[in-house]
Amino acid sequence: MEFLAFGSFAILVVAWLVAPSKGEVVAIEERRKAA
Amino acid sequence: MENVNAGDTAWLLASAALVMLMTPALGFFYGGLVRRKNVLATIMHSFFILCLISVQWVLWGYSLAFGPDHGGLIGGLDWLALRGVGQEPNPDYAATVPAQAFMVFQMMFAVITPALITGAFAERKRFKAFVVFTLLWATLVYDPVAHWVWGVGGWLRTLGALDFAGGTVVHLTSGVSALVAALVLGRRKGLGSEPIEPHDATMTVLGASLLWFGWFGFNAGSALTSGGLAASAFVVTNTAAAMAALTWMTVSWLHKGAPSVLGASAGAVAGLVAITPASGYVDVSAAIVIGLGAGTICYAGIQLTKRLRVDDALDVFGVHGVGGAWGALATGLFASSAVNAAAANGFVYGNPAQLGIQLVAVGAVIAYAAIVTFVILKVINLFVGLRVPEQDEVLGLDATQHREAAYTI
Repeated sequence: MEFLAFGSFAILVVAWLVAPSKGEVVAIEERRKAA
Repeated sequence: MENVNAGDTAWLLASAALVMLMTPALGFFYGGLVRRKNVLATIMHSFFILCLISVQWVLWGYSLAFGPDHGGLIGGLDWLALRGVGQEPNPDYAATVPAQAFMVFQMMFAVITPALITGAFAERKRFKAFVVFTLLWATLVYDPVAHWVWGVGGWLRTLGALDFAGGTVVHLTSGVSALVAALVLGRRKGLGSEPIEPHDATMTVLGASLLWFGWFGFNAGSALTSGGLAASAFVVTNTAAAMAALTWMTVSWLHKGAPSVLGASAGAVAGLVAITPASGYVDVSAAIVIGLGAGTICYAGIQLTKRLRVDDALDVFGVHGVGGAWGALATGLFASSAVNAAAANGFVYGNPAQLGIQLVAVGAVIAYAAIVTFVILKVINLFVGLRVPEQDEVLGLDATQHREAAYTI
């Protein structure tokens, strides 16, 4: 179980390193102006 | 009164107060997720249920759930209006605290369970229909299922089903009923054609944080004593919540390109849901795995309901239904008698039969909650009407149902 626990956390750490930066920044700004 | 232990009683009463806080916290969690024209109505759902079920529970709910058994299905009416439920302990349930302390602790579970469902029918349900639904659902779904799982003589308890703090009784019943409610009520007007956005994400994060705080009473309080088991439940509860929050945020980051604040909040709640049935039976390594599973599976469950165009407005099924089922099954996988000598081992500790028992419990609770909730909703729709008129939905429930406004600026 300890191996699974450390492995689970390691998966998250690796994911944070490779996670992309994309999204709807423009859309959010447009919504704010519309409001 | 010589059997009453001061430490146990103090802890259980404090835990009852912690769990009480969870219901208004849920109101804030849900309130932030709806549009500003519906925030008061949404918070009112939780606050009203706190009042309604507090009275229902002392009058007949506690007796139906924990009273003397009838056929493994329901408690009797012997304890109506708390007749015989006094300051002496009831050793069947908690040998070292007054029976009324155990009763009021359980009351707070009965309160929050129907409040969880309200997220599914947010922004469109008639208040009168909500009142009738809550009273009937608490009596016909919550009280019997609580008896099955926790009552002396209850058939799932006799079978050996493990549910430390309510994975099946609280979260699976409410999550499945929420899905049924969302299907019966139908989608909100404008969903898909106009933006329906959370009006105050900060309120939701505050609500999630207060839920997390109260959950220590929910799970560690369920030890019913202030000893090592309570401490263990406290630790695994915090660990699973944190792990699920990290996981949900990460999955949403990979999926949508940004680490969502609301996602972290929902993930924490999913982790708390999943660890609930397991919290008195598993160690901290299992809690990490349960948290990872909750963050992943519940996120996937929500994507699926959205793809199927089910308007479970605040994702109650994805978080509580899926999370409750995962937690109940994970208990069958990871339960360890080294953590709790009174419990059976789970699958990974050489007892695969426990996983089968957990499956039976999950299946029975899903079927019962779904069928009875469907019937209740159909009957209410016939006599009262479930949804507000279309023009009221456009104006918002705060104005049309309560004649009040949350914000004047």
